[in-house]
Amino acid sequence: MFKKKSLEILFDSPVSDDMIKFLTDHALKVIPAQNRQPHQKYPPSPPGSPSGKGANGVPSLMTFISRLVRYTNVYTSTLLTTVVYLNRLRALLPSDAAGLPTTCHRIFLACLILSAKYHNDSSPLNKHWTKHADGLFTLRDVNLMERQLLQLFEYDLRIEASELYDNLYSLASPIHRDLEKGAQINKMRHQAQLHAQQKSQHYYHQRNISACSSTTTLLSGSRSGSVNSLDILKEYESAASSVSSSPTYAIEATSTSYKSYSMDPRYCNGALHTAGNAVDHYTHTPVHKTAF
Amino acid sequence: MVAPSQFKQLEKVGNGTYATVYKGLNKTTGVYVALKEVKLDSEEGTPSTAIREISLMKELKHDNIVRLFDVIHTENKLTLVFEFMDNDLKKFMDNRNKGNSHKGLEMDLVKYFQWQLLQGVAFCHENRILHRDLKPQNLLINNRGQLKLGDFGLARAFGIPVNTFSSEVVTLWYRAPDVLMGSRNYCTSIDIWSCGCILAEMIMGKPLFPGSNDEEQLKLIFDTMGTPVEQTWPQVTQLAKYNPLLPPHMPRDLKQLLQNNTEEVLDNNLVDLLHGLLQLNPDARLSARDALNHPWFAEYNHAN
Repeated sequence: MFKKKSLEILFDSPVSDDMIKFLTDHALKVIPAQNRQPHQKYPPSPPGSPSGKGANGVPSLMTFISRLVRYTNVYTSTLLTTVVYLNRLRALLPSDAAGLPTTCHRIFLACLILSAKYHNDSSPLNKHWTKHADGLFTLRDVNLMERQLLQLFEYDLRIEASELYDNLYSLASPIHRDLEKGAQINKMRHQAQLHAQQKSQHYYHQRNISACSSTTTLLSGSRSGSVNSLDILKEYESAASSVSSSPTYAIEATSTSYKSYSMDPRYCNGALHTAGNAVDHYTHTPVHKTAF
Repeated sequence: MVAPSQFKQLEKVGNGTYATVYKGLNKTTGVYVALKEVKLDSEEGTPSTAIREISLMKELKHDNIVRLFDVIHTENKLTLVFEFMDNDLKKFMDNRNKGNSHKGLEMDLVKYFQWQLLQGVAFCHENRILHRDLKPQNLLINNRGQLKLGDFGLARAFGIPVNTFSSEVVTLWYRAPDVLMGSRNYCTSIDIWSCGCILAEMIMGKPLFPGSNDEEQLKLIFDTMGTPVEQTWPQVTQLAKYNPLLPPHMPRDLKQLLQNNTEEVLDNNLVDLLHGLLQLNPDARLSARDALNHPWFAEYNHAN
């Protein structure tokens, strides 16, 4: 229910080390480590080492990605969406696929370029990407990797919201949980208010309510040993159930809850409105991000 | 993927937004195709327009959307192989106008074309794709009277919260007022406005709002449709390029305006549909599916 919202919050945050680590891990999984050393004479370099160049003059993938992000000022959304393409590629390649020490760099760069070109109305040219790739590749290399990746994907770069969420689960799910918790607290607060209102304004309902809550208290008592927070929730649940026994309040309860959380129409009708806000957010800086 | 040699390149048939289009012949099947050639600039790599057009059109298989059959991608050239269409709506209307002053299409044909246009648009929107450049030049027609959406060079997917929407989209005459005023959070309604402009143009035989720059374009729209205010369009004053000094205009009688430009008898259903498509407030505009269910299309809806 909060999947889209959690992605929006994630995409609104600046690029973090966690994100770069996350992408590095996924990019390294595309070609297994043991298949990445073509020459025996090179000592195996630890995958995803935090910085510096390896024995062969190739920067670690993490360093490479960090620099790309810093130089190009790429949007968080463009950067993170890349993981969908990395995972698709891993699924497409045979498990014994082998490569050079720079293959994962190449794969990551190509996925990032496609993500930028597909998702943004303006994006850097390949000559700019080449410039910021640490001199690892020529423009011709970059053009070729882009074309090869397009062909591997059969030009299908479409991503569904659920696929995006699933691929970004480890980054988005903590936000998702917070949103759910927040909504639950809101819900409880609303129902508590309602409960209080009932008590103060409509005395004649009182007996009915207490009868109801005592039943549920009994019920929850029989399922004892549960966590405290759950007990709190139950208390409000019982308030809600007593509310629904009185038709006047049932309507009020549904309509308030509809407005205040779960079904905010902005999040149901596609993300466009909120995506627009995100853009507005950036209107001070887009010169670097878009025209580059 | 097919070999380039499979196609014989024939005469040039037009220039797209970023490419040249040739008629072609598939030598093995004997079927005519349209070959859209994109010259690749090594500094740019594959243009994002081409990447999107291919990615989006591959999945759009519908009677009212031009079919993309194949892609030939080499180091210097990218060729998109499309279903061949004889004509486009712009040329079709221009031919009708030859010799005499502006003359619209017969009402039956207007209705048939508009129905097909909305079918194509509804299919795009249901697949979460915005066309963003609907205009008569991009509506291709064949000798059987079929109309299909073409040129998805400006199209893009929506529905995932990935950012940056540009307001520099849609050819000026067909651009919605919210986009003209700098809105970047537009959605399907951006295409619906264009559909309204195209409907009026088919009736009148000339464009409805032929502005020469953004400012004049808005002026022409407001002269006819009325100047928006907060009451008719909440939040309009918050748009980036909203001009508070706009002279207030009342909406003009759209039916009279159209009637002055056609010999066909206009019925109220048509005018009502047009109003639904040309709502200034994007949230008030009809959806493509709603438009298809409009009483003006009753004969098609009952036939199904």
